[in-house]
Parts: sequence; structure tokens; C-alpha cells
Amino acid sequence: MKARRWLGAVLLALAGTTQADDATQKLLDCMRANVPPSLQIKEVELTSTDRGGAERLLKGKVYASRADGLIRVLLRISRPRDLDGAAYLMREGGAERKDEIFLYLPAIQRVRKISGASSDGSLLGTDFSYNDMKQLQAAFGDARPSLEKPTTIGDRPVEVLSLQPAPGNVARYSRVLAYVDRQSCTALKAEFFEGKTLRKELSAPAEGLKRADGYWYLSELLMRDVKENTRTRLKVTGVVGSSDELPARLFDPTSFYRGN
Amino acid sequence: MDTVAWLGGVARRPRAVLAAVAVLTVIALLLCVNPLTRQVRFQIDPSAEALLPAHDPGRAVLDQVRRTFGIDDPLIIAVRFEPSVYSADNLARIARLADGFRQLPGVTEVHSLASAPNVNARDDEIDVTTFTGQAAEDPAAVEHFAADIQANPLYRSTLVSNDGTTAAFALTLGALSPKDYLRLDFDTRARAIVADVGGAEAVHLTGTLPVRAATSEALDRTLKRTVPAVFAVIAMLLLATFRSFVAAASALLAVAIALVWTVASAVLLDIQFNLVSAIVPPLVITIGLSYTVHLLAAHFLSRSVLPHARDSQRADWVMRRISTGLTLSATTTVIGFLSLLLNPLPAVRGFALLASLGTLYVGALTHLFLPALLNALRCTRETPPIATRLFGRFAAALAVFDLRYRRWIIIAAAALIVVGFTAATRIRGGADFIASFGEQVTVRRDFEAVTAAFNGANFVTVLIDARAPDALTQPRLIDAIDAFQDWLRAQPEVGSAVSYVDQLKLTNLALNNNEPLHFGVPNDDAAVKQILLFASGEALNRLIDPQFRSALISVRINVDGSRAISDFLHRAEARAAELPSPLEARFTGSSVLATRAVEALASGHLASIAIAVVAIACLLSLMFTSVKAGLVATVPNLVPIAVYFGTLGVLDIPLNPTTSLIACIVLGIAVNDTVHFLARFNADAREQGKEAGAVRSALTSVLRPITLATVCLCLGFLVFTASELNNQVQFGLLGAWTLFVAWIADMTLTPALGSRLRIVTLWDLLRLDLGRSPQHTIPLLSGLSMRQARLFALMSRLEKHPAGTRIIQEGDLSRDIYVVIDGQVEATVERHDERLVLSTMTRGAVMGEAGYFGQRRTASVDTTSPVRLLRFNSQDLERLRERYPSIAATVFRNLNRIQAERIARMTALIK
Repeated sequence: MKARRWLGAVLLALAGTTQADDATQKLLDCMRANVPPSLQIKEVELTSTDRGGAERLLKGKVYASRADGLIRVLLRISRPRDLDGAAYLMREGGAERKDEIFLYLPAIQRVRKISGASSDGSLLGTDFSYNDMKQLQAAFGDARPSLEKPTTIGDRPVEVLSLQPAPGNVARYSRVLAYVDRQSCTALKAEFFEGKTLRKELSAPAEGLKRADGYWYLSELLMRDVKENTRTRLKVTGVVGSSDELPARLFDPTSFYRGN
Repeated sequence: MDTVAWLGGVARRPRAVLAAVAVLTVIALLLCVNPLTRQVRFQIDPSAEALLPAHDPGRAVLDQVRRTFGIDDPLIIAVRFEPSVYSADNLARIARLADGFRQLPGVTEVHSLASAPNVNARDDEIDVTTFTGQAAEDPAAVEHFAADIQANPLYRSTLVSNDGTTAAFALTLGALSPKDYLRLDFDTRARAIVADVGGAEAVHLTGTLPVRAATSEALDRTLKRTVPAVFAVIAMLLLATFRSFVAAASALLAVAIALVWTVASAVLLDIQFNLVSAIVPPLVITIGLSYTVHLLAAHFLSRSVLPHARDSQRADWVMRRISTGLTLSATTTVIGFLSLLLNPLPAVRGFALLASLGTLYVGALTHLFLPALLNALRCTRETPPIATRLFGRFAAALAVFDLRYRRWIIIAAAALIVVGFTAATRIRGGADFIASFGEQVTVRRDFEAVTAAFNGANFVTVLIDARAPDALTQPRLIDAIDAFQDWLRAQPEVGSAVSYVDQLKLTNLALNNNEPLHFGVPNDDAAVKQILLFASGEALNRLIDPQFRSALISVRINVDGSRAISDFLHRAEARAAELPSPLEARFTGSSVLATRAVEALASGHLASIAIAVVAIACLLSLMFTSVKAGLVATVPNLVPIAVYFGTLGVLDIPLNPTTSLIACIVLGIAVNDTVHFLARFNADAREQGKEAGAVRSALTSVLRPITLATVCLCLGFLVFTASELNNQVQFGLLGAWTLFVAWIADMTLTPALGSRLRIVTLWDLLRLDLGRSPQHTIPLLSGLSMRQARLFALMSRLEKHPAGTRIIQEGDLSRDIYVVIDGQVEATVERHDERLVLSTMTRGAVMGEAGYFGQRRTASVDTTSPVRLLRFNSQDLERLRERYPSIAATVFRNLNRIQAERIARMTALIK
């Protein structure tokens, strides 16, 4: 998967609906153009490291599609063995509907739709939380994007995209700063603020920036929870981007958990 | 080197001494206060953790909990609403309050109805919206909230009080210290947020941080109040006693300098002021002022005894008079404190070190600085010291009483020791925590209000360790933890007990559409793991680590004070020991650590006292060169200790961090009075040759300064009764009471025991000058070592006479024997108005031995030059035989040899 886009796609699809000045809009368009209509990641590794330094590894596959500007993402877990088959589907609702999250746990053998907000629900124990995803959607669906002073990460020039929730909206993060690489229109870093406090930080080494099928993607990401002193490293291999649609059953709540 | 001469020499150079002390004091002040920021450099740490060693197992567990779960005891803000929390308006207020509290400095997390999801499962959908979120979306949903919360073990008695009127906000604070809490005015800010939001009937803040902050503030105020108060009280006493402003001001200055040096030492040695070491400053002041009382008394006495002497002569005289007692006093006091170094608690060891240094500083300044200052200031006083006559009369009466009722005094003292230590067997260790504050103090009222509303405000954390990843997903082990948790909930002290098992059961229930059958633990590991991973997040991460290897049970208890907590912990630990392998449960939390600290103090104090008693007895034996004398000097100090512990036992006063220190402190201080009396008595007895008279003169000499010093000390201790903290009040009252008992013992038992004792101090021994090689040049001392020769001399009387003094009068009946140490004497007889010189005698000559055997003096002896003579009689020899039999045997042998030689010579002359 174009991993950064896995998160960024959700952001971008919605960010595009907001009003922005020309320069900001141009950057958002550039980022949007980086998201293929469909993509498949053969293997994704989520390595979570707790405060004590102990690690837990999750492996799985990710499928994503963009249809009518709406993002759908499926994460299917294959390792560890006792989580084999667990699946997590996110469907963006757009302007008309709320976003949807579906979960399948083999032990329960049922699909459950998760609604509402939970401040601490994480994505299967990783630092990528449900709340992050929900907050991203809620916060940036009508977020106010703006460009700040450009800077560099390493020797790469980056644009700094600031996103703040619209007045009156309740969002977990009061501000997100995305550092977007000028060449690839890919965010190499993102900072998530709670009030004035940096709560989480997403970063990607520039050397992990790769290109496949004409699309840029990051092969490695690190989400660090500054407050909890935990981190999750996300590695992707075998990214396939395509204009062809993926099977609809992968994004259908009644069938997403079944095999390929 | 003659130490006294050296001290006198120092006192004769006041400017040099004053300059040196001034320089050192400036350096010490710079260490205490940063001149740039004007901030003090010393720290006040009110936490119980500060009392425990860094490597204490309890602290290690707490560190592990903090490291693994990222939690500490929360700050609880309880807000009461009328008629109840359960209305849409009040829930909206709760949401605003949570937002407001989150903005407070240092707050990293706020757990409340605004963050806790009310998990609703219906039609394959799980709604994880918070209570306040649900209320905002659908006000009608609120009517179910009371039932939802009651059914939820995670929220019941945690987020809302059982009566539904009070909502709790559990604030997680980062690295906010009690000092920060006070500086940021956190309490006022939190209350202001509640006032801004409105609708609240009452607000209470409690938790480890507010209590520590309040303790820190109270300690700070105690230090700020007690130090000046002790100074003021004792300044008035000194002024009233000595009627010299210069003398009183000089004494206070000396003590103030010692205090600055002590605090500077704390900064240098990185010793924080905590609940125990906060006692050091007022203690140094009281001890210091008691020393200065003795010095001022000697200083003014020197003015009357040596009215025309030079300052240097007076300095010598003052040093000779007080240095033995003062040095011994300081040494024994320091031993009393240093015995606390055996205590396992670093806080007590820090106290011991700091108090020892303070005592040394104040002793040194009293020896060196104060005489120099008094001489430099030409401190004189024309008016006689107050109550001298009164004390003189009282001393005379006391001497008569002590000697007449000697036996009864000793019996009464023995009885007191037995009764006291018997009553002491009833003492229990224990300390009040929140009850240390007065009933009307806000921090206590808030704590009690939260305890009443939520059935507890203290937290005990149980760390469950299974030692292997994923072990805590095994249903068998989860069932065991669940059963242990049920047992905890059944205990009367427990208000609530929460663990990951509750979360697991609730999530399992929600994932299974709230079918009651599924409110339980799934029966296979994989299901447990999946459910836990699904539920994982900040809330669950506070209860189980991401590796599922260790977990916490958070227990809210409704008791306070180390006794009650200790009782609960003992039962809980016994039950925890029944958990199946590999589960291991360890208990921690601030209240647990405080309880452990109290227990450690209680276990260490008896050893400290025993060591102090033995060490002081050894020191006194060494100083008095006799084990018997050492014991006699030690016994009077056992009486106040016995009475002190007896008082604790009879009045059911627990042994806590402060009360456990009193015995060692009082022992160290009380020995001062014993030493002062015995040192004076020793000198007077040697001078007068009569113990009974020496008791009276010694009491006359020391009663006034000892009494004044005791009054100083008692007043110093009583100043603590003004503290806001009950344990400090208790410390003050008990300290004063015990010192008063020590004074009574020293004024009655010490003279009673010491009246039959001729004491030789090590000081005397070292100071005594018998000329060169006395054992070789004085036949009577032949075969003795230098030390034995000096001991014999000190058991006798060393007299100085000018030329032309008659030592022995022919025809008198007297049993004294004389030995010429140096000078020359002449033996003469008067016959027909004619004076015949029989012999001229110099060093080593023995005379008067005929009198020893009951004969009248056969000749007169006069000095022909200034002489020093050693004078002894049969009583002295008998005492020598009892105390030092080997020395007595040699002296008797020598005396026989001298007599035999004399008879042989006379026989030869007759022939």
C-alpha cells in the first residue's frame, strides 16, 4: 500500500472538500493525484513497541479503493496465528453519511459495526487508533487547510500543511501539521497536537519513499505516541497500484472478512 | 597538645575567629540561596516515598507500575450536582468541566463521564460514544445512565457516587511536583473552572498530589514559623536570665550561623527536607541555645570570679570550666543522632547526618565563636544573674534530698524503668496520614468528602505479574484473578476494585449483543486475546500491558492511616499468596509506601536506641575511665526513655516517623545534663575531698544553667505545638515532656548515683601534669604505667602551695599522706623553742605516712618553694582498691617498701 496514502487518503478526500487558497489547493490536488483508484499491499507489518521496549507484531494485507472520491480501506490480519482472520473495514461516508467502521473477530464469528467515538480505542493494539481515524475524518472533513512557511526535512524541501478543525467542531486534535514533500507530494511527517501539546508524531524516512506504477508511496512509517511513550512501525511490501477496481466484496460489510 | 589551652588561645584571637566565621557563613548563605534568582537551593519533599530507600522493593514495584502502565495516583476532583448527575444539563456541564480540566497545566488525561464510553450493543452495532456524547445526541438516553453505571464494574463508585449526586474526574498529571502544584495555584484554578461552568453544589479535590502539596505547605509554614518562634522565645528567656542584650544577641547569632551552616550542608550533601528532616532546624536551634546557656553562665561567672583578670585569662578559665562538659555533651548528642544511621530509611539517615552536623557546628561555634564574640564586644554585666539565690537555695535543698533519700530515689528510678518498658510493650506502630491535618483543614475535608461519596479516596495498586507474554490471556489465570478481585471487593476497607478482567467481560458482553450469558471470561486464549486487542487503548493499557504479561488491580480503599492500611495489606497479601503459579501479586501505591515507611521506622528505632545507649555508655566509660562510672552516667538517661515509651503505651500513641525519633533525640540531649553534673561534681569532689559537699556545690553550680537549658529545650519543642500537622504537635509535646523527665532524673538520680563515685575523666587524665617520668622519679608510683600513675593522682588530690605554707603540723591527728611532685619542703620539729630541721625533701618524697597508721604527726612540714603535692588518705586508697585494684596493689607495695626502707634507715641510725 502506498502507506502514507492509507492514512492520507482519508484526509485528502475530505480536505479537498474544504475551501483553500490556490497554493493550498494546488498542493492538495497534487497529493490527491498520488492516490490511485485502487491499490493492494501484499504484506503490511505493524510492529508495536510498548513503554518497556517489548514488541508485538501484526502482519496482514491492505486493500484500498477510491470510488466517487470516497475512500474504503480493508485491513486483514494474518499473523499472529491467534488473530488470523481478524479484519477491519473503514468506509468513508462523505457528505451524506457518517463514516463506518466494521470489525470481524474470528472468536466472535460476527461482524460488528463500531459507531460513536472512543477516546482510547486503538487499531488492534497499535498506535494507529480508531480514534485517530475517526478524528481525522471528523476533524478534517471540514477542516481549514492552510500553508505555513516551507521548510526542509533532511535535504528535501517540504511544504507545511496546517489543518485545524472548523469552529464549533469537536475534534481530538486541535491541529495537525503535515510536512509534504514537494517532489512526490507525499507527507514525510505529520504532527498531531492536543491543545498545544504534541500528542503523536508520524514520520517516514525519505529513503523509504518509493515509486510504483507511477505512484509515490512510503515503504516505512513510524507512529509515535509521545504521551504514552509507545510507537508502531509500519512497513509495507509489494505495493500494486492500479486503475482497475478491486472486487467489491472486499469492501462489503457482509463479506469483507472472507478470504481473497 | 593542651586542647583547652588551644581553645583559650583561639578565644584570645577574636578578630581572626570572627573573620573566619564570617567568611564561612557568607559561603554557606550562597549555598543556601541563589543570589541571582533569590531562590532557596534546598528542597522540601513531603512524599512518603522520600522516606523510603531508593532500592526499596515497594518503590521498585511502583516504578515498574509507572514504567509499564504510565500511571500514578490520580488527582480526583469530585463535583456535586443537585438533584443528581443524571440530567442532560449536568452532563453537558461535566463535558465542559472535563475540557476545562484538560487545559489545566500538567494535566495529560482526564477520565470522567466525558471520556468513558457507555458501550451499547444492538443489532450488530456497538456504540462506543461517551456518556456525555450520548446525552448531547439524545437527552432521553440519560434516564438509563444510572442503571448502566451501576451495572458496569469499571464505572460503579468510580465515575459517579453511589447516590448519583457527585461526578468524579480522575486527572492524570505528568511530572507536576507539589511545589509546581502550589506555584501554579492548581487548586484555585480547578475550583474556578467549576465556578465558571456553574451548576455545581460543591467541589472537592483530593489525591496524592494535593495532600503532598498541603503537607509541603504546612511544613514550609512550620519551618517559617517555628524557627523564628524558637528564636523569639529563647531570646526572651536569655534576656530575662542574663539581663544582657549583647549576650543574648551573641548567643542567637552563634546559633543562627550554625543553622545556616546546617542548611548549607543539606544543600551540599543533597539532603532534602522531608517529614523527618524538617525537624532538624528547630532542633539545632534548641540544642545550640542550650549550649550557649552553659557558656554564658560560665562567661558571666568568670567576670565575678576573676574581676580583674585579663580577657585571655578569663577565656582560659571559661574553657577549663565548660569544655569537658560541652565536648562530652556534643559528642553524646551526636552519638544519639548517629545511632539513627542504622535505620534502613534514607530519610532518617539524612536526618541523623544533618542533626549531627548541626550539633557539631553549634558545639564548635559555642566553643570558638561565642567566647571570641563576647570578648570582642566586651560583654559585661553589672547586674547579678537572675534567680541565682533562688537556684542556690533550691540546689542546697535538692542536695540534702538527694543524699538523704538516695536509696529511695534509686528504687523509684528502677521502678519507673520497669513500669515504663512494661507499658511500652503495648505500643503499636502507626501513623495518621490525612488525619495529620486538623479537622477543618480543606485538604482533609475534601479527602473525607470524597471518601464518603465514593467509598474511598486512597488507592492501592496490585501488580499481577505472570512473567510470560500472553500468559494473562489464559482463562485459568483470568478466573483466578477474577476470584481474587471478588475477594478484594468483599473486604470492608475496599470501595472498588477494577482490573482488565472487568474490561474483558464487558467487551465480551458488548461483542455478543449484550447477552447476559457472555458477561464472563471466554474459554479460550485466542478469543481473550482478540477481545483484548479490540478493546485495547489508553484505558485498557492502564490495566494490562500490551504483552499481556502483567496487569493491575486498582483498589480504592476507604481507610486511612498506616494501621488500617497495614491490616488490610497483611490480609490481602496472604490471599494473594494463594494465586496459582505463575501469578505473583505485589502491592504498591503512595499509601502502601507510606505504610511501609512507618513500619520500617518502627522496626529500626529499637535497634537505634539500643545502639545509642551502648555507644553513649561506652563513651562515658572511656571518658570517665571506668565502666562503673560510665554505667552510672548512663542509667539516669534510661529513665526518660522508659517514661517516654511508657507514655506512648499508656496513652496509646502510635510510633510514627516523628515520635520514633524522640527517644534518640532526647537521649542524646539528656546525657548533656548528666555529663555537666558529673563533670562539675568530679572537679568539686577532687577539690573538696568530700563527695557530699561536692554534690551540693555541683548542684549549685549546674542547676541554674541545666534548668535554663532544659527550659530552652522544652520551649523549643513546645513551639511545634503551633504546627498545622498533628504529628508535629505530638512531637513537640512528647519531646518537651521527655526532656522534663530527663531533667528530674538528672537532678535527683544522677547525684544519688554519683555521690559515691570519684570520677576521673579522660580529659583530666590527659591534662594532668605529674612531671617527667613520674613512675621512675617518684618511688610511690614505681612500677605503674604513665596512665596508672595519672589515674592514682586523679583519685587523690593534687594541691599547689606557695612557699612558706605549713603542710603538716606536729602533734596533729591526721591520716593524709603527701607525695612531693615538684618543689621543696622541709621537715622540722620544735624543741625548747628551737626549730630543728630534720630533712629537706624534693620530688618523690613521701611524708605523713605515720599519720596513716593512726599516729600523731611527729614533725611539721613547710614549703620552702612553690610546691605541688599529691595528697591522699585511707578512703582514697580504699576507693582505689575497689576501682583499680591492680594500681592499688602496686601503690600498697610501694608504700610498704618506702616504710621498710625508712625503718631500715632508722635502725641503721640507731645502731
